[in-house]
Amino acid sequence: MVDIQFLGLLNATLQAATLLFIASLGELITEKSGILNLGVEGMISVGAVAGFMTAVNTNNIFLAIIVGVLSSAIFASIHAIVTVTLKQDQTVSGLILTILGLAVSSLLGKNYVGKKLETKLESLFSIENPSNVLEVFLSQNIIFYLAITFTITVSYILKNTMFGTRFQAVGEDSKAADSMGINVTKTQFIATCIGGAFAGLSGVYLTLSYVPYWTDNMTAGRGWIALALVIFGGWKPYRTAIGALLFGFLEALVPRLQTYGFELNPYIVKITPYIITILVLVLLTIYKGGKTGAPKNIGIAFFRENR
Amino acid sequence: MQTSMILDWPWQVLVNKYTLSKRQVVNELSTFYSFLLGFLIALIIGSVILIIQDKSPGDTFSLMFKLSIGSVNSLSSSLNKATPLILAGLGIAIINTVKLWNIGAEGQIFMGAIAVNLIYINLQLSNSTSFILILLFSSFLGGAFCILIPAVTKVLFGVNEIITTLLTNYIVLGLTIYLVNGPWKDPDSLNFPAAAYVGKEVYLPNIFGKLSYGFLICILFTAFAHYLKNNSVFGYEMRIAGGSEMTAIYAGINAKQKAFFAMLIGGGFAGLAGGVELLSQTHRVSTGISQGFGYTAIIVAAITGMRPIGIFLVGSLFGALSIGGSVIQTIGVSTYIADIIQASTLFGALIIQFFFNYQLKRVDDG
Repeated sequence: MVDIQFLGLLNATLQAATLLFIASLGELITEKSGILNLGVEGMISVGAVAGFMTAVNTNNIFLAIIVGVLSSAIFASIHAIVTVTLKQDQTVSGLILTILGLAVSSLLGKNYVGKKLETKLESLFSIENPSNVLEVFLSQNIIFYLAITFTITVSYILKNTMFGTRFQAVGEDSKAADSMGINVTKTQFIATCIGGAFAGLSGVYLTLSYVPYWTDNMTAGRGWIALALVIFGGWKPYRTAIGALLFGFLEALVPRLQTYGFELNPYIVKITPYIITILVLVLLTIYKGGKTGAPKNIGIAFFRENR
Repeated sequence: MQTSMILDWPWQVLVNKYTLSKRQVVNELSTFYSFLLGFLIALIIGSVILIIQDKSPGDTFSLMFKLSIGSVNSLSSSLNKATPLILAGLGIAIINTVKLWNIGAEGQIFMGAIAVNLIYINLQLSNSTSFILILLFSSFLGGAFCILIPAVTKVLFGVNEIITTLLTNYIVLGLTIYLVNGPWKDPDSLNFPAAAYVGKEVYLPNIFGKLSYGFLICILFTAFAHYLKNNSVFGYEMRIAGGSEMTAIYAGINAKQKAFFAMLIGGGFAGLAGGVELLSQTHRVSTGISQGFGYTAIIVAAITGMRPIGIFLVGSLFGALSIGGSVIQTIGVSTYIADIIQASTLFGALIIQFFFNYQLKRVDDG
């Protein structure tokens, strides 16, 4: 007989990790192409509200997922147009994407605050009360399994395929990639939209399963933690997944400490994820001595005449 | 086949008889024109949203105009609202001189207000002028303290300052919520968790009407920031430090030291914004100290190309927009319209700026 509390902790860890990880994986893909998108928080928020609105109005959960993912991808294309096509500053554009995304989602979701979902995203194998570790893993919803599939696929493509190598060349040295005949701007444009789609998937996971309701600013900095996770993972999918599990574990553990007999101030508990993120980021940067593994071309707009 | 055919995707799909080249000379006023056209684009976007919501854009915008700058009183409110925006924006611009980003202005504003209350509780002075000055100075220190960890870790280890400054926002907001619900909770404030009001003797007085002395502080600090960035030795050294590493070494400038002090000063400006806001407007610490000023300040700073005088002007406009945005709630229009117009202005400006920096030339394929 396994401890029920432990199973609850494991379940919460997996869910919190999935939420963070999908957004990180999307950002990882975008950054691998040499585009930095600081708009993750805004993109998650747009996906979250679009998915939630669709779910409330249609009761069709799969349609809601698709709408959420597509809205974020389209929203991310603003960043792609401004930074890839028009070659403007990626930091500025990404930051404003976050601000715009939060404002747009608040505007759209204004009439949906406090509404309940008729159907939420259910466990894929219909396991309601898992009684052992395996069942906890099998009790997750479809997005969890998608996340695992994506990790394996993305890692395999980046490491073992010609396409992956050519793709990474764009982020490492866009001029060399261009002279190899790779369409740099097209690659970067699509990679930015894919990053948005992943953030949207993370958003629908938030509003259709993790919480599930809609309020303003409910992303609560998760987009920024996802950005930190990409650095934590050294731009490698598996390491980013491990980072997400670690953060998911901490997010799940801290509120539960009380049940293990620790007296904690609830207000302090709320800010621990942010403190831990900073702490981990600092320790990691010191440990790696500045060699982070970032794509070399990140943040620099590609312009052929610069050759 | 043209050898100079260098339009890249998706331009080549749209127009394949043109080449794209960088302009040698960029119009000096390009930032200004980009802003104006960007603002126009944003107003069009705002109108579309209003039309979708069955509201008349003309009526809404004229009401916003009337209630934000239509009278001396409303103009004063707008300028009071602009004060924290401008101060925080100046802080962001100073830090950007060394090519670093401060996304933590929101947290620094709260920290400035917390510092004011902390000193106010523990110190009682009979001379109210010097007391106010001490409180304002402590808000500056509070903001600088708030950015201390991002600054130290950036300078010593190269930790990404964008993420650390952003995350401090959540930490300081959490601290504020803790304080106003715990140690500083005012038992008289039943519905809304807040600290006790500060005494009337430390209120920042008004110059005339509703216009607070905070705005005067704002003018002074705009001039100071302009001098610091463009005319002082420190500003020159900051620019070198933010440029190439080798140049800084040749010039004998300690780039890390400049970056460190630039960050502390910039954080201090945002902290001062919080101090002024507390002493002139809210008069107590609560989560209402800032309504996203620190984030809007990023737009204000970026849209002006980090120019202090531009920040002053655009900040004033955006302050009016925020006031306008909050009053149109009464006719059932969402206050987020103002946020969307502000963010869209910058996106519009970025798009326009491209056409100032680049040139599409027709290719003769004969």
